[in-house]
Amino acid sequence: MSAIGNGTNIFWHECPVGKSERQKLLDQKGCVVWITGLSGSGKSTLACSLSRELHAKGKLSYVLDGDNLRHGLNKDLGFKFEDRTENIRRVGEVAKLFADAGLICIASLISPYRKDRDACRAMLPDLSFIEVYMNMPLELCEERDAKGLYKLARAKKIKGFTGIDDPYEPPLNCEIELSLQDGVCPPPGTMSGRVVTYLEEKGFLEDK
Amino acid sequence: MASLQGASSLFHGSLVEAVFGSPALALKIGFVSLFPSRLDAGCASLGLSVDNGERSSSLAPIRAVNETRTAYINGKADGVQGENLDQISTVGNSTNIKWHQCSVGKLERQELLQQKGCVIWITGLSGSGKSTVACALSRALHARGKLTYVLDGDNVRHGLNCDLSFKAEDRAENIRRIGEVAKLFSDAGVICIASLISPYRKDRADCRALLPEGDFIEVFMDVPLKICEGRDPKGLYKLARSGKIKGFTGVDDPYEPPLKCEMVLKQTEDDCTTTPYDMAEQVVSYLEEKGYLHA
Repeated sequence: MSAIGNGTNIFWHECPVGKSERQKLLDQKGCVVWITGLSGSGKSTLACSLSRELHAKGKLSYVLDGDNLRHGLNKDLGFKFEDRTENIRRVGEVAKLFADAGLICIASLISPYRKDRDACRAMLPDLSFIEVYMNMPLELCEERDAKGLYKLARAKKIKGFTGIDDPYEPPLNCEIELSLQDGVCPPPGTMSGRVVTYLEEKGFLEDK
Repeated sequence: MASLQGASSLFHGSLVEAVFGSPALALKIGFVSLFPSRLDAGCASLGLSVDNGERSSSLAPIRAVNETRTAYINGKADGVQGENLDQISTVGNSTNIKWHQCSVGKLERQELLQQKGCVIWITGLSGSGKSTVACALSRALHARGKLTYVLDGDNVRHGLNCDLSFKAEDRAENIRRIGEVAKLFSDAGVICIASLISPYRKDRADCRALLPEGDFIEVFMDVPLKICEGRDPKGLYKLARSGKIKGFTGVDDPYEPPLKCEMVLKQTEDDCTTTPYDMAEQVVSYLEEKGYLHA
């Protein structure tokens, strides 16, 4: 602030710290790794393994888990169609902020509708949205039934459950697809290794 | 509870809870000796697994903290590959127990960043200098090698909160969402600087309640209305006075100053010497004293 003429306080401020400066500090590039797939397909497991592997390389990541967010930011939303869309939109916006902050933001949500995922992709600069499709068969996911939800859905105690009576629209053109190898689900470490390799090849794990 | 991400609903009332007393403790230990049950799949979804080979029927919780740390430290030094995160060991009658670590937690992120995540909530009238101080503060911290992020009320209204208007319930929702996002940033280890009028005490108190004690640092820009209006950086006071905008804070909507906040940055008509840089340095000193500028 300075005084000029009749003592008016003229306001001045320099630019705030920007994305490129933050990336330089962190020695990485911010991006969003968007893990999509059926309930029980292993999204959270992959997110966990990926964050561990990145951390071991000294890279800062943060997991936005669909369930976690529904306890906080999105606690006012249910599971009807428009609420699902709003849930994804908000997560997309938050992921965008995290990527802007320079973090590798790992979003782990069913996110069943193509339109909603594409809308999130559009929020981010080119190439910064890395869609990872957990392409696991419904049978496998249901067998795992990690949260007992398939059982409830089959017994009609919950309605509109993805994979049972609500559709999952697989990506048509995603960056990484993870699926069974010879009929077996690869270990989480193998799958996260593929994502880390992708991030490395595309230059996200350094600031250059 | 950062390391729980997504876990609580899964583990609630489960056998894990019975064994460990709390899901948080189970996950901190990072290892559960498992047995045929739905729990297996549940744990698998959270990065804990059993080998498909022999399983013991014994229920012996294993304290694997040291192994976790060793693996982590080695990983950091050697650039560990994904598979090596799983270690196989034998404990008691349980052979081929496989375990892997939980998602990275807040403490580990803070160690990486050499700082502690928190929220600096800058509140005050329009034109009181919130954005200016936020900017200067992010600069000052960046110069010290600290990672910050500014959540500006105006910016967020163009993205996350683009669906909200300025009516009372939407203002409250605007603040709530920003509070929740700031909490996420703080959990990520970032020093999150939220800069918004946030005129109502209750809304600010609700945001404070989201965070652990001490991590919500309220900074009140105590600048008289006359000075703010004299600046009128966005021309809004002029519009408000001419009745072209309604419910403008300070003109026809109240600003409720904090009764008890961590810092007050005061300016009076007689004081033209305190610069945004000086004010930012006051905040930096506070953060230093409270230990936020190291892990």
